Amino acid sequence: MSSGNVQNQTTFLNHVADRLGRERRTTVNPPSYFSFPHQKMGKEADISELAKVLKKQCLAIHTDVREATINNLREVIDQVFVEYEAITAAVWDDPRFHQFGLDSIVERPQVSVWGEEPGREANIQAAEQADVGITFSDYTLAESGTVVIMNGAGKGLSVSLLPTNYIAIIPLSTLVPRMTQATAAIHEQAEKGRRLPACINFISGPSNSADIELDLVVGVHGPVRACYILVDDLKKEKKNEHETN
Amino acid sequence: MAMKIGGRSFDKRAEQGVRDSYMRETVRTAQERLYTNKSQAEEELGDWEEWRSLSEKIRSHTVDNLDYYLERLSENVSKNGGHVYFAQTAAEANRYIQSIAERKEAKKVMKAKSMVTEEISMNEALEATGVEVIESDLGEYILQIDDHDPPSHIVAPALHKNKEQIKDTFSRRKGYQKTSKPEELTQFVRKKLRREFLEADIGITGCNFAVAESGSVALVTNEGNARLVTTIPKTHIAVMGMERVVPTWEELDILVSMLCRSAVGQKLTSYVTGLTGPKAQEDVDGPEEFHLVIVDNGRSNILGTPFQSALHCIRCAACINVCPVYRHIGGHAYGSIYPGPIGAVLSPLLEGYEDHQDLPYASSLCAACTDACPVKIPLHELLVEHRKVIAQEKKTTLGETFAMKGFGLVASSPRLFEMAAKTAPALLAPFTNKETIEKGPGPLKEWTAIRDFPGPKKERFRDWVKERNKGGAE
Amino acid sequence: MKVSLFITCLTDIFYPDVGKNVVELLERHGCEVDFPEKQTCCGQPAFNSGYHKDAKKAAKHMIETFEHAEKVVTPSGSCAAMFKEYPSLLKDEIRWRERAEQLAGKTYELTQFLYRVLHVTNTGATLQGVATYHTSCHMVRLLGETEAPYVLLSNVQGLELKELPNKQNCCGFGGTFAVKMSTISEQMVDEKVEHIEETEADVLIGADNGCLMNIGGRIQKEKKPIKVMHIAEVLNHREMGGGDV
Ligand code: SF4
Repeated sequence: MSSGNVQNQTTFLNHVADRLGRERRTTVNPPSYFSFPHQKMGKEADISELAKVLKKQCLAIHTDVREATINNLREVIDQVFVEYEAITAAVWDDPRFHQFGLDSIVERPQVSVWGEEPGREANIQAAEQADVGITFSDYTLAESGTVVIMNGAGKGLSVSLLPTNYIAIIPLSTLVPRMTQATAAIHEQAEKGRRLPACINFISGPSNSADIELDLVVGVHGPVRACYILVDDLKKEKKNEHETN
Repeated sequence: MAMKIGGRSFDKRAEQGVRDSYMRETVRTAQERLYTNKSQAEEELGDWEEWRSLSEKIRSHTVDNLDYYLERLSENVSKNGGHVYFAQTAAEANRYIQSIAERKEAKKVMKAKSMVTEEISMNEALEATGVEVIESDLGEYILQIDDHDPPSHIVAPALHKNKEQIKDTFSRRKGYQKTSKPEELTQFVRKKLRREFLEADIGITGCNFAVAESGSVALVTNEGNARLVTTIPKTHIAVMGMERVVPTWEELDILVSMLCRSAVGQKLTSYVTGLTGPKAQEDVDGPEEFHLVIVDNGRSNILGTPFQSALHCIRCAACINVCPVYRHIGGHAYGSIYPGPIGAVLSPLLEGYEDHQDLPYASSLCAACTDACPVKIPLHELLVEHRKVIAQEKKTTLGETFAMKGFGLVASSPRLFEMAAKTAPALLAPFTNKETIEKGPGPLKEWTAIRDFPGPKKERFRDWVKERNKGGAE
Repeated sequence: MKVSLFITCLTDIFYPDVGKNVVELLERHGCEVDFPEKQTCCGQPAFNSGYHKDAKKAAKHMIETFEHAEKVVTPSGSCAAMFKEYPSLLKDEIRWRERAEQLAGKTYELTQFLYRVLHVTNTGATLQGVATYHTSCHMVRLLGETEAPYVLLSNVQGLELKELPNKQNCCGFGGTFAVKMSTISEQMVDEKVEHIEETEADVLIGADNGCLMNIGGRIQKEKKPIKVMHIAEVLNHREMGGGDV
């Protein structure tokens, strides 16, 4: 990746330093914060408690919640399709669809997989016309009912945005108390000097607006409805452990 | 000038606001609702004061080291393949943005809500070169199609309008035929704008926070328009006020949490989007080209002055939502795109006292703003600081200057104070009716037009004390 | 305990009766009350208008006047807050700043002093009636005192206290604001009076004569049947049948 241009930097920053009454600083000691209220929140909670917090928050953010096991996940998704009167769908090109036994959904003719079509426009078009967009969650924030998705390559931005409805599949293993844990992970990447995904989304429910008389309207430019499907992917691991013991 | 809105004097605008009973009712309800929501959101966070102190610390550390963090930010954006332009003035910023539009042969620009682009009049600059600029935030869209009615609130720009007015504008301008139900109005805009999004050449957003360590821009929204603006068009330009930087994602966590709660009482808004543009080679959507425009436009003049903390502002509008003056006069009366307490502090700093000299006085100094501010900006103290500057530069009336000089003299001299207090009853006697003044002289006139004024008593407290000490007992 | 009384200029000239009640109240709770005669005004009018040179004159005079005091008590949250502002007002004059800090440290608003220093919760007062209490902005936000007046009022025999809706709102006084921005101030005081009326209280109680002069003046002008009382008058009030404890 070739680096971009930076213009007027020196004059601008010299002026800033000047106004601050000192020379330009090339190193700064990281700030010493004395308290970390954000790290305390939800620290003690286990997965089932976090799931409870998440479900409660979903009521506040107008988001439907379904629960599934890996075995019945496909059926639960289909039920949501029926409920949303949805036929067409756009999904990520993501190995987790296979791992969670969803090949039969992905392979349907009414389902378009991101990146499958040639070219940018065709993929955007397909997502735009889909009734439902489906993605997995990479981190799920219990406190705010937020699905964090790291977009990129097969994980297109449009899938969670352009379709009329949005389904997020949330493996319980992705649950964390709040934004703090997700940003810490992202911070770690940045510290190592890694390039972050071009778009990281924190999605909390369907799009909405209160711009008219402060009345909340759900469904503005993004999805009109959102559904989170919580999948218990921990039980299986436990069973495996048990078997090997 | 761009920040300035409306003509006439502050008094006239304030009076017009006071008379606009519809606007006042909406603002009152909005404030009450936002106050309740915010209080609840504060409570859920546990120790709100601890969060505030931490946020204040983050903001002051960053602004104290602004040159360093901006350098890191720009270097990281560039490393990712994005372009950075440092603009000292509004004109420089606009010229740069125009040049991109020209190079891209852009016809249509989709915009997400951004106060700084309002401040620099970017839309007008682009339109002057023949580019169509479409506001995609619902509130901004409403204002745009209503002949560019100025915003009256920094988070809910169309707060002063009711749904009937909005419906009328839509039918007049866009052939809308349905009812004034917010749902229907919103659906109409969704359909109308979807097509525009798909056709736009450039997307322009503001920037709630820029993360120095990764060269990312964070956008905090509910409608999803900012996501569309940064997903579909092939070029994304983010415009930021130079103070909106945070060191790392860890600080971003704190400030976004505070912003969402303070602005709308939500834990997080529907979309918090971290953009580290441009898109990677293997990505299908997202911008191929990314520009970050970092704007000074008067901000650096605030650095190193007693007003520096004004640059800590995260534009949550919490101070506006609790301000009693704003409640009664509305946003337009402030004559600036930044209304309310933060506007009264910021407008004179960014644009000078000439147009905004009345604003620092438009406060009873009740400190509700200071109390509400999530980053602990001492707003009411900064208003007093402004008054100090105005008084020092002798921009106040001569009468007031003399009165205050006299005050200093009297208050520091018990003898003069005694004299003043003794003469007051005599001077006021002709206006006094049963210990009350109903129509007073001089500055009392303004007072007694609205309220009765107590007449000074024959015996002052200190006379009573003297008597009592003399007599030894009651 | 020996206390020096800062009566405030408003109370001295316009509300001497409030002052008498303050003295009696303090004496009843075992204080020896001293009234430094040289006292003038805290300087707030000049300070708030930006005339800090003139405010400093007043500040220095008051610092000298109260230098000998063990504790300074004043029946106004706003004026107490102004004393506490002195150190920052005089921050560039080290000697004065230190003296200012001493004064700030020993200054209390009346109810604060009763409750926090003397640990009084019941002043033995009786008052028959329905009242509402106006929390003054400076008492709450600048002094941070939210408890003392309520505790003391709740123990006044016979008094029914109704919560004032939107009690956090300013009454619109703000010193010179009331005349400089009279149009806006009028709206604010009207709103306050409306809320007071909503409580159907027949007595309005406040702890700051500035606010009371404003709200009371409006009530009087509009000829509303609401009696206005300073909290010192209430806490020192006795009625036949109400016993001294
Ligand atoms: S001054 Fe404080 S409360 Fe007001 S908008 Fe800025 S951050 Fe929010």
